[in-house]
Amino acid sequence: MTPDLRVRIGELELKNPIMTASGTCGYGDELSDYFDISILGAVVSKSLTLKPKIGNEPPRVAEVACGMLNSIGLANIGVQAFINEKMPKLNKLGALIIVNIAAKRVEDYVALSEALAGNASIRGLELNLSCPNVKEGGIEFGTDVRTLSTIVKRVRKVFPRALVVKLTPNVTRISEFAKAAEAEGADGVTVANTYVGMAVDVYSREPRIHTVTGGLSGPAIKPLTMAKVFEVSKAVRIPIIASGGIFVWQDVVEYMIAGATAVEIGTALFTKPDAPAGFLKSMGEYLSHENVSAVSELIGSLRAKLENVPHLKRG
Amino acid sequence: MPGNCFLESAIIVQTREVAESTYITGLKSRLIAPLVTPGQFLMVSFPETSDPLLPRAFSVCDATADTLSLFYVAVGRGTRRISKLKPGESLVLNGPLGKGFPEMRSAQKIWAAVGGSGAALIPILARAASKTSADIHFYYGARTGKQLVGFDEAANLEYATDDGSKGFRGNVVQLLIEKMKNGMPDLLFGCGPTPMLISMQKEFGARVPTYLSVETPMACGMGLCQGCPVRKAGKKDYYLACKDGPVFRSNEIEFEADL
Repeated sequence: MTPDLRVRIGELELKNPIMTASGTCGYGDELSDYFDISILGAVVSKSLTLKPKIGNEPPRVAEVACGMLNSIGLANIGVQAFINEKMPKLNKLGALIIVNIAAKRVEDYVALSEALAGNASIRGLELNLSCPNVKEGGIEFGTDVRTLSTIVKRVRKVFPRALVVKLTPNVTRISEFAKAAEAEGADGVTVANTYVGMAVDVYSREPRIHTVTGGLSGPAIKPLTMAKVFEVSKAVRIPIIASGGIFVWQDVVEYMIAGATAVEIGTALFTKPDAPAGFLKSMGEYLSHENVSAVSELIGSLRAKLENVPHLKRG
Repeated sequence: MPGNCFLESAIIVQTREVAESTYITGLKSRLIAPLVTPGQFLMVSFPETSDPLLPRAFSVCDATADTLSLFYVAVGRGTRRISKLKPGESLVLNGPLGKGFPEMRSAQKIWAAVGGSGAALIPILARAASKTSADIHFYYGARTGKQLVGFDEAANLEYATDDGSKGFRGNVVQLLIEKMKNGMPDLLFGCGPTPMLISMQKEFGARVPTYLSVETPMACGMGLCQGCPVRKAGKKDYYLACKDGPVFRSNEIEFEADL
């Protein structure tokens, strides 16, 4: 029997738990050269802002051990161009679209959400409150629980469909932020964005990216984010979308066992743009082999004694 | 160009050391090789590993019906490792990517200045020129003669070395300035280190249609990450080297001031 791969984020049903991560799949259509993107649970767009943004000066990317640093600076075509030019293409390709948004003012988050609420084929919204590389959409929103609450509350009022909050891992206790998002009516949380990182060229003594620090992604961060997914899963009831260093299909399963309902594939796309297609196939085989009839049975199925966890704050 | 890029597992046929730390690796490629045009590039990665994590960008040195070759100076972790792979081992190729040099026309007079790993383009340009009967001349620069690679494919090739150990004494731009005293080409191509491209833009950009292949750090090569900005001339905006380039008309772009 073919395993049931469907999962739910609020009222949004995804045909499977595999999504692409914002900022690593362009606007979504670029990937369609390599595989049929309609097979994905969802495609998450690049972060959109009210007006187009040209982004940061180069260098914007640098490779480090088992990972990469990036500081793109939210380069994007702006929300109107996305709706007018990209949405028709994405609809034609049959992809389920979740749009990621970033702003530097609470009012701008609301304006963006209103603009996107009017387009019914935008099935969900992911709030970027966690970009480490710009002031807007950035750390100051994502690292202050009260600001996060305000933004989620205001956006919730104007966006009727699935609302997900992407959290920064660059805080002491990420579960406090997840709880705040849940309390204001978010349908899910994405755990997590990139970690602030840095690399230096020893000959020029210059930082390897223009903004000196950037966001660390890739397999290097997977165990860090795994612990955060586990922490958040013990604090909230809303679904968790895990994002961080997924590189092979086993990583998807691991995140789900640790508590995630869905996952976002990011940096892996740079090396293998068709990776999600392979993950789906291998996951199906794994579920059949393990006699699991529905992928949702994996969610939070970790066999662990919670009293063995030294730092877990309950409740 | 939807449907025109492929991910392909390609078997290595052979690797030759052609100059100091400089290699040419030939690979079997059924899907990508027939489609590559001069100046387009590939993202090359190792199968089943996350270290090194990211693919490396290579311009294609030559391509026939079912094989292609990569030309590189083994300076980094990735290129050193590729140089040590044995025939029969495989690499993952993603391509052909980006926009290459403009198509050459019959009897068109083209000068191509190359340096460093930019010399990769000599065979593929020579092949494309002979197909369309374009008249192409290569000017190949290096610090010293030991770094120069002999390419049989190019009939018209002149060298420039900083130390004068082979060919013209001086850099390739100085050589071109000398040559232009006796006539101009219809088109000028440049592929090499960024200082060479900057100097070509400054010296020739206004005098002859000049196309430059830029080098910049790149993570994906497909426009997914937006990590390879190239400044648009006279505008507060960027192109992406991977999708809009890597070959640009010289007057379309500005190089970063601190390079």
